[in-house]
Amino acid sequence: MAGQDEYDHLYKIILVGDATVGKTHLLSRYIKGTLPKAPTATIGVEFATRTVPLAVGGTVKAQIWDTAGQERYRAITSAHYRRAVGALLVYDVTKAQTFQNCTKWLEDLRNNAEPDIVVMVVGNKVDLVEKDPSLRQVPFEQAQAWAQSKSLMFYESSAVTSFNVKHIFEDLLQEIYTQRTKVKSDRYNDNSTQGGMQLRHNPPQRQAGCCT
Amino acid sequence: MWSDPSAGRSASLAAPPSSSAQAASGPTPGTSDPGPSSSSSSGPPKKPLVKLQRFGACFAKEAVDLNELRELLWSGVPDEADPSVRAKAWQLMLGYLPVHVERQVTGLSKKRREYRELVKDYFERSPEMRSDNENQILRQIRVDIPRTNPGFKFFGDAVMHGIMERTLFIWALRNPASGYVQGINDLITPFLVVFLASYLNKRDEDLHELEISEVPSEVLEHIEADAYWCLSKMLADIQDHYTFGQPGIQRMVLRLKEIVKRIDEALYDHLTNNGLEFLQFSFRWMNCFLMREFPMRCVIRLWDTYIAEQASGFSNFHVYVCAVFLVYWAPQLKMMDFQQMMLFMQKFPTEQWRPQQIETLLAEAYVLKSLFHSSPKHLS
Ligand SMILES: Nc1nc2c(ncn2[C@@H]2O[C@H](COP(=O)(O)OP(=O)(O)OP(=O)(O)O)[C@@H](O)[C@H]2O)c(=O)[nH]1
Ligand SMILES: [Mg+2]
Repeated sequence: MAGQDEYDHLYKIILVGDATVGKTHLLSRYIKGTLPKAPTATIGVEFATRTVPLAVGGTVKAQIWDTAGQERYRAITSAHYRRAVGALLVYDVTKAQTFQNCTKWLEDLRNNAEPDIVVMVVGNKVDLVEKDPSLRQVPFEQAQAWAQSKSLMFYESSAVTSFNVKHIFEDLLQEIYTQRTKVKSDRYNDNSTQGGMQLRHNPPQRQAGCCT
Repeated sequence: MWSDPSAGRSASLAAPPSSSAQAASGPTPGTSDPGPSSSSSSGPPKKPLVKLQRFGACFAKEAVDLNELRELLWSGVPDEADPSVRAKAWQLMLGYLPVHVERQVTGLSKKRREYRELVKDYFERSPEMRSDNENQILRQIRVDIPRTNPGFKFFGDAVMHGIMERTLFIWALRNPASGYVQGINDLITPFLVVFLASYLNKRDEDLHELEISEVPSEVLEHIEADAYWCLSKMLADIQDHYTFGQPGIQRMVLRLKEIVKRIDEALYDHLTNNGLEFLQFSFRWMNCFLMREFPMRCVIRLWDTYIAEQASGFSNFHVYVCAVFLVYWAPQLKMMDFQQMMLFMQKFPTEQWRPQQIETLLAEAYVLKSLFHSSPKHLS
């Protein structure tokens, strides 16, 4: 057990966003490569880990906490944000309300997680708008502009087709790593850790379809 | 309700319950049937047949004696019983079915008529009349229903979805302080399974592959009304589990923490030293009354006792069951680190559990509760 469980950095990441935007499906797709066999609404928190190798060598271990989305649970859910250094803030591109609620989720994150938490906004279920563009209620540009205005990262994704699923998790991990290393090296003025430390980084795709 | 155990008792609780070893080695006849009354715990082991006869005699009286029924139901409906026994016992115990035998038929049809009125008033109104809040509740219910207990085929059926949608929506509108909260969709499932089993005269374990189209629509109508009323009774006293901030659940989690610290301090230390918080694993236990941790046959056995305890506050007793359940896994947990524990507790290896194992938990929880409460005569 110990041998395969070695890593250089441990990061706690949380999945937040309205109920049924697809948080649990994204997590399952990323961790297991498949969709949940017996999907149920998340009650409390669910926990998963994955160790991701860095292109520069070494590994990052992600401790991922999947939370419950319903409004009523928020008071309790935010108790799980403590010590989180990264968050995937998920909405559903076919439900405008789930995007509007991102403001509230962000506020919760700011109030309860680490002050320097890295947040990635994720518009999930793009497979649906691929099939029927009229289903889209949140334009890509609008969500991107909002994320930019708040200095947040942004992707669209689909747990069903796997589109961008790897990216959302691993780009987030990479950004956390970069920021933490930068802070550390700034603080200690340690030049040896600066620059060139990047995860494998393929440019994100905006259009689905090329990968399933 | 949340009275502390008297300080003088802590010595007797310093050691973990001795019976946890026994629980690990499987059910032990005789100890699985403690009953809340002193007479039943001291007598010789009861045979299922004797118990069946006692249920029969209890139902045969002109007016069912609820104290007698409570005692019987607390220690479980035997596997050998006709499926209608459990349904009847639950409905009587929850005050849904009248205790006077000659009033039962009219009582039931009155309640079912009342339910049909509720459906008209709350559900069949034109959708334009619904408030934003009501629409939001309905949306949430609709996305949760298809994600309900995938172990039974019929929970995936559109007709069953309709039943759940109506019952949950009406319950939510009539209980505005809490409204619909995710997980309440789980809580109605034992009623649906047990009442279906009763009407179809099948064992609940034989319902996994049932097709709803095999069930007469009249039966479905009855089941829907019965499940609605029984869910309402079951949740009547635990509203604050589902109101803002869920104070009822937070209290239970805290209480669980206290109890575990008292009965297995080594485990408690191990959990806390590893940075594990009780909220992280036990929130769901409280929110769904352990339903997510056990197969349905075990949940149903658990509910025999919870329904018997309903009048005296089954959520209080539930915390002791959770404590015993956690301590049951202490040997494994103590070997694990934070991550291993989180993963383990997310999916306890309970798929193969039988109702007898639940009975062992219940028996231990009963002893534990008696130790913690100054008066073991908790049933008035
Ligand atoms: N088409 C499509 N459907 C999806 C996708 N991701 C999830 N879903 C569906 O959305 C529903 C909810 O998915 P979940 O993963 O359970 O949602 P959640 O955000 O975890 O919800 P809560 O646990 O209630 O907070 C399920 O019915 C999924 O099948 C996606 O990428 N595309
Ligand atoms: Mg979920």
